[in-house]
Amino acid sequence: MEYILEVNNVSKKYDTFALKDVSFKLPKGMIMGFIGENGAGKTTTIKIILDIIKTYEGNIKIFGQDKNTELNKDIGVVLDDAFFPEILTPKDIDIIMQDIYENWDSKLYNDYLNKFNLQNKPIKTFSKGMRKKLEIITALSHHPKLLILDEPTSGLDPVGRSEIIDIFQDFIQNEDCSILFSTHITTDLEHIADYITFINNGEIVLSKTSDEILNNFGIVKCSEKEFKKVDKKDYLKYRLNACDYELLVENKKDFKKKYDFKIIDKITLDELMVMMIKGE
Amino acid sequence: MEIIISNDSKIPIYEQIKEQIKSKIITNDLKEGNILPSIRTLAKDLRCSVITTKNAYEELEKEGYIKSMPGKGFFVCEINKDLAKEEQLNKIEVLLDKAIDIAKINGITKKEIKEIIDILYEEDK
Amino acid sequence: MLGFIKKELLMIKGNFKSIWLILIIYLLIGIFNKMDVSFILPFICTVIMISTFSYDNLNSWDAYAFTLPNGRKNLVKSKYLVTILTILFFSILSIPLSILITHLNNLPVNYLEILVTLFGAIFGTLFIISIMYPIIYKLGIEKARITIFVIIFGIAIVGAILIQFVNFEFIPNIISTLSNYLIPILIIILILSVLISYFISLKIVSKKEY
Repeated sequence: MEYILEVNNVSKKYDTFALKDVSFKLPKGMIMGFIGENGAGKTTTIKIILDIIKTYEGNIKIFGQDKNTELNKDIGVVLDDAFFPEILTPKDIDIIMQDIYENWDSKLYNDYLNKFNLQNKPIKTFSKGMRKKLEIITALSHHPKLLILDEPTSGLDPVGRSEIIDIFQDFIQNEDCSILFSTHITTDLEHIADYITFINNGEIVLSKTSDEILNNFGIVKCSEKEFKKVDKKDYLKYRLNACDYELLVENKKDFKKKYDFKIIDKITLDELMVMMIKGE
Repeated sequence: MEIIISNDSKIPIYEQIKEQIKSKIITNDLKEGNILPSIRTLAKDLRCSVITTKNAYEELEKEGYIKSMPGKGFFVCEINKDLAKEEQLNKIEVLLDKAIDIAKINGITKKEIKEIIDILYEEDK
Repeated sequence: MLGFIKKELLMIKGNFKSIWLILIIYLLIGIFNKMDVSFILPFICTVIMISTFSYDNLNSWDAYAFTLPNGRKNLVKSKYLVTILTILFFSILSIPLSILITHLNNLPVNYLEILVTLFGAIFGTLFIISIMYPIIYKLGIEKARITIFVIIFGIAIVGAILIQFVNFEFIPNIISTLSNYLIPILIIILILSVLISYFISLKIVSKKEY
């Protein structure tokens, strides 16, 4: 399998936080959702991938090569809070980008501007949602092969998010292109992410296909008596609630075969996150 | 190609896709030689992961319902309709068996079961 | 790099709208007071260019620019280039402006004085930015402003103290000995300081992280 992005054993230390041995791989033609709490390390990891942070241990490979600034021409970026100075207008961006990216597609950019009804006024007059749409459009309009997006749908209403997700799916029709995006809005991911990578406290907790997670993982609900019967190896995390025990299991079918408990529920990404973070 | 997915169902999405395509093939909605949408197009239309549609197609191929021609796409195979029907009949038998078990335990008669079957068929029409 | 240059120019265009009114008023005041104030133009350039750093900082433009092709290098290159070119452009523009003002005041045009003032302005502004830009890149615009203020204040104080104790009379002697070579020497000093400043800024930005 060809990987468009490889993050290999990346570590970085700060005073109050550290990334420890972060590794994951994104194949061509796939969308990877990068989830985690605030402060878990999503943005730091993305900044390292993009070379905004340069001092770290480990290795990043993009398109099979060690990361270098030449590769930027095929990478589209949306950051959480960094963009063009807000006195500029969308038209200014068009004029500027024509001479920054060789593949800048002015027509595509303007089509997107019309589609989202973005007026040619200074960015500072835009709402948060409009700004995000402009940032996403800008990242797409030079036909990149890899999109790296930090919370691209934050601030967008459900309709806006839906429009953007559609655009992402159009983008991925080309098998040579991939998307990595970090988000809190796990429902978006449940629909279109092919892979989910979950980071907590600077460490990768899991990195699997979303099919595997949504089809195989499950939440078992049981009484204290039943809980005592379960072997520690057979669940990942557990939570003691007011009325019951919740267990996060990796394979619903196997668990069901071994212990015939009544309630083994399908899992959502939200529940997965909460269990992995708050469970023991 | 019309495929309707339930997000709530306990059945994994790739299985729902698989079963619906299978049924279209068996009922001749999809004929031999018909080309299926590409894995990516289907994923986009159903708003699901590409890996999901890939799994569905791969299993259909393994079970002999479709075949892939590299560079061209997935095509419906000539299937042994009887064999396919047999597989579905087996499934129905298992489900009916469960229903009959419940009926016997609770003293429900064969006649009452047959009435229910009649009503359910009418409802679909 | 052309794209980055366009970005700087478009920002100046955006900024200019707020400045030009003040500019006109200042010029009018100068004209009425029979003063040749055209040398103000290069200084206005410096103010505008430094304010672009503020806008950049507000939107974390630098971090975003790092993700563009050859971003780190082009960021610094374009800033210096645009600064130098606009200063030179507006300085040259101030010559006809000067001539116009002196004519309006019915005074004789002193070409030598105009040239000397012009040269002084160019030298002054380019020297100032040579010192300021690396500091801004290193510390960010907010801290840079304070630092520069402290430095100038410090130099002023040190100068005031020194004057009490040291006899600076030997300096005019040195200047008159050099006077034939004064202009070329100053030009060389200027070019060197801009170049050194540029390379220092490049180094700072190449290591910068956000």
